[in-house]
Amino acid sequence: MSGPAKLFQGKYVSTDRRVREDPRFVAGHGRFVQDIDRPGMLHVALVAAQAPAARIVKIDPSAALAMEGVVDVIDGAELSAAVNPLMNGLDTPKVQRFPLAVGQNRYAGEWVAAVVAETRALAEDAAEKVRVETEKLGFVIDAEQALEEGATPVHPEHGSNLLLDRTFDWGPVDEDFARSDDSLKLRVTWGRNSTVPIETFGVICEWNAWEKVLDVWASIQMPKYADQIARALKLHGNEVRVHYDVDVGGSYGVKRGIKQTVLAGYLARKLGRPVRLIEDRLENMRSGDAHGPERIFDIEVAFDRDGTVNAMRMRALDNAGAYAGRAPFQLGKPIGAIVGPYRINSVQYRAMSVTTNKAVQEAVRGFGQAPTNYAIETMMDRVADHLGIDRLDLRQKNLIRPDEFPYEIPSGSKYDSGDYQAVIAKVLEQGDYDGMRAERDRLRAEGMCAGIGVAACLEPSGGNSSFEPLLNPANRTSTWMEGSRVNIDALGDVTVAIHTTSSGQGHETLAATVVGEVLGVDPDRVRVVRPDSLGSLPGNSPVGSRMAIMLGGAAANAARDIIRQAIAIGAHLMDADPGDCSYDSGTVIGPGGAEIAWTEIVDVAHRRFHDLPKGTNPGLTASFIQQVPTGETLPKDGKAQMYPCYSFEFHLVLVAFAPVLAKPELRRYVIGHDCGTVINPHIVKGMTLGGIAHGIGATLLEEFAYDGEGQLMTQSFLDYLMPSSHEVPEVQIVKHCTPSPLTEFGQKGSGESGYLGSPAAISGAIHDALKPWGIHLNKLPIRMAAISDAIAAAEEKGHP
Amino acid sequence: MKMELSGTEEINATPQALWDGLTDPDVLQKCIPGCKEMTATGPDAYDMKLQLKVAAVGGSFDGKVRLHDKSEPDTCHIEVSGGGSLGTGEGRAQFAIADAGAGKSTLSYEGEGEIGGLVAGVGQRVLKSVAKHLTKQFFTALRKHFEEHDATA
Repeated sequence: MSGPAKLFQGKYVSTDRRVREDPRFVAGHGRFVQDIDRPGMLHVALVAAQAPAARIVKIDPSAALAMEGVVDVIDGAELSAAVNPLMNGLDTPKVQRFPLAVGQNRYAGEWVAAVVAETRALAEDAAEKVRVETEKLGFVIDAEQALEEGATPVHPEHGSNLLLDRTFDWGPVDEDFARSDDSLKLRVTWGRNSTVPIETFGVICEWNAWEKVLDVWASIQMPKYADQIARALKLHGNEVRVHYDVDVGGSYGVKRGIKQTVLAGYLARKLGRPVRLIEDRLENMRSGDAHGPERIFDIEVAFDRDGTVNAMRMRALDNAGAYAGRAPFQLGKPIGAIVGPYRINSVQYRAMSVTTNKAVQEAVRGFGQAPTNYAIETMMDRVADHLGIDRLDLRQKNLIRPDEFPYEIPSGSKYDSGDYQAVIAKVLEQGDYDGMRAERDRLRAEGMCAGIGVAACLEPSGGNSSFEPLLNPANRTSTWMEGSRVNIDALGDVTVAIHTTSSGQGHETLAATVVGEVLGVDPDRVRVVRPDSLGSLPGNSPVGSRMAIMLGGAAANAARDIIRQAIAIGAHLMDADPGDCSYDSGTVIGPGGAEIAWTEIVDVAHRRFHDLPKGTNPGLTASFIQQVPTGETLPKDGKAQMYPCYSFEFHLVLVAFAPVLAKPELRRYVIGHDCGTVINPHIVKGMTLGGIAHGIGATLLEEFAYDGEGQLMTQSFLDYLMPSSHEVPEVQIVKHCTPSPLTEFGQKGSGESGYLGSPAAISGAIHDALKPWGIHLNKLPIRMAAISDAIAAAEEKGHP
Repeated sequence: MKMELSGTEEINATPQALWDGLTDPDVLQKCIPGCKEMTATGPDAYDMKLQLKVAAVGGSFDGKVRLHDKSEPDTCHIEVSGGGSLGTGEGRAQFAIADAGAGKSTLSYEGEGEIGGLVAGVGQRVLKSVAKHLTKQFFTALRKHFEEHDATA
């Protein structure tokens, strides 16, 4: 690569243009699963297991079936005889999962039977009448206990609770520890939380026996969804038709929906009627796909007295819940940014995933990166504390320098570009760091606890799935492509097709902006359509902060192909060499300045075959399937190139609370954000603000907490606390742009921004405020009670 | 979640009358809040159907009750287990009756139980106070039973 990428100057990209999806949502004209009504549709309610683990002795549906309007009751025995187990990306064949529990349930709330009725209300009433006779079994809730010798296995056939235990040694870890002046150990724990979309998961399945096709409308964000449905239901790939023109009311990873869809799909085929399953909030919170990573980090870090961090050993023990799900892979993605924005010479990383009798862990925003960033940044704070060095100075000392990109980290991933120092400098200046410190000291003088937190971290983006072959050698995936198609109709108007659902990311705006930019057409004149899955190009859905890069790349490249075709036609009409012609906003310009108008090119393409260059097909259309940049090889020797592009964010936050009540209040929040070239600034701003709010929840409030008896104690919004306008402060966003050299316009991802660094920053600020007592609160969320109890306990011991 | 309950109540009944009441399914059905049915299924064994509402959760509970280690008219052990749309519950309790003179008795009870399912997850924050409230309702009904019993006796 030759030097840093240049700033992109576009006509539409990065400009202050309205997000085209917004008006229809604001006006209440979205089209969600709930809005779709199919004739003769049936509704599903679920019977949930009560104990964390119990053998299912007998399920008696007779009382439910006797109710008017109840059509069917099925259990796991019936379902598992008819469908294949759900996909499990690991090589753990004995850890099988079906939409309904088979033989025994493995967490409280797991679905053991499904009731189908004419209305959802009837189905719910009937679900209460299904008699489930069980015998309680032993269970385990805690990840460390699950690892112990003799622990109750969640899947007895699997033999132990260990799903994954891989140790990676990248670089001379032992030597670096030996040569370092000092080291320290810490343990931090990330609590189970979610993204909690407003809309729970919903799906409608309808089997069309004459066409032999299963139609699916779903609130979905799931890679290879149609394939997975076909595999599980033993259908051909082209017998499943997923309709992508369904709006999804929020996701950030949790709209996985596969078990729900397999269940509804089976019922639709069995009963010959459309079947709808929309989770209520309880079903969603305790037994849907809501739960994210829950992880204990044990870290040992080696450093010199001057603050140079040389090496890190990290063990991440992740509580996967009752089945394999996507949890183990969420330990894999952070390998791509395992040293954060720092020059750490060597790393040992041990990734452990264990089953417990908790709800299954699924993908949540960042796919495991947010917990890892929290661990790395807390480690940096502790090192600074230990050495008596200012936290910012310590970070500055270890940051990768702008002239070092592309920078390969020990785990084999190359960071594409960045200027971390510039972002931090801007934040300190524009965010008035000096003023913030003065404010902190003033608050302290008034008797308040006040502290400043900082966090510098990365957002790997452009999602591939390198973690799959890295953690499971049987998996040979090296592409995670995304397709787009641009059509020019006979009137010369532009239509771009995208091949996935969207859950608020603004893909229509993205595709229209990018195609408009390349073709020189006002994006408002570009139509965006979503064919169903059978009419779609291959794609992998908007996971891994990838669509600006992948859909943006596919659409831009398809548009470029249109230009190539237009030039070929124009050149032929002018009897010129295409290499001597150029394109500008629809017009093809010949060598002598002669011009062929867009209408003429379109007319030739659509009507005048005789005027086309020899060997050219009629019509004006282009498809492009974008490979993930950098995705050339499979992982080798325990090293992998994870996602190609690396966005950077720097958080600066001032927290204050009264020492007795200890309710943390965010007095100031400044974030510096560099995601390369921004396609639409409003979308990026929305992502960042939402991400920070999400991070505030993860840090202070949100947790799926289980009691000692394996019951989920936080399954409604009474107990699962979410940040509201009371907790979320005004946020100052400081922008910076270091383009990526790997993408069409220099864009990087931003779908996880804010969330990836705010927990570390807020936790750091609380610790700065607690410094007089020397308290460490090493588990998220840090509830106000934990802070006030810790202060009270410290004062009883005579601190400060 | 685990729960414990204990207390002492004074009842206007002789120890024998109180004992008879507490081991009579008809009396228990009348006094246990939400109890729709109490059917003897064998010596000292009963099936019980309840309809209850705890916080936002309402629903049914079908349980089995077993009395054991009885020492008439002083002490008795009770085991309850069951489940329903509300959730699951199981508990062990014992009560002791002492003569308080003047036709009165003192009833001491203590028990522990484990609650699971929906009611544990959704109702946990109010479960303890609901349990206290239900216990109070039970004794209010029991006192009323003996008042009526005395009046008709």
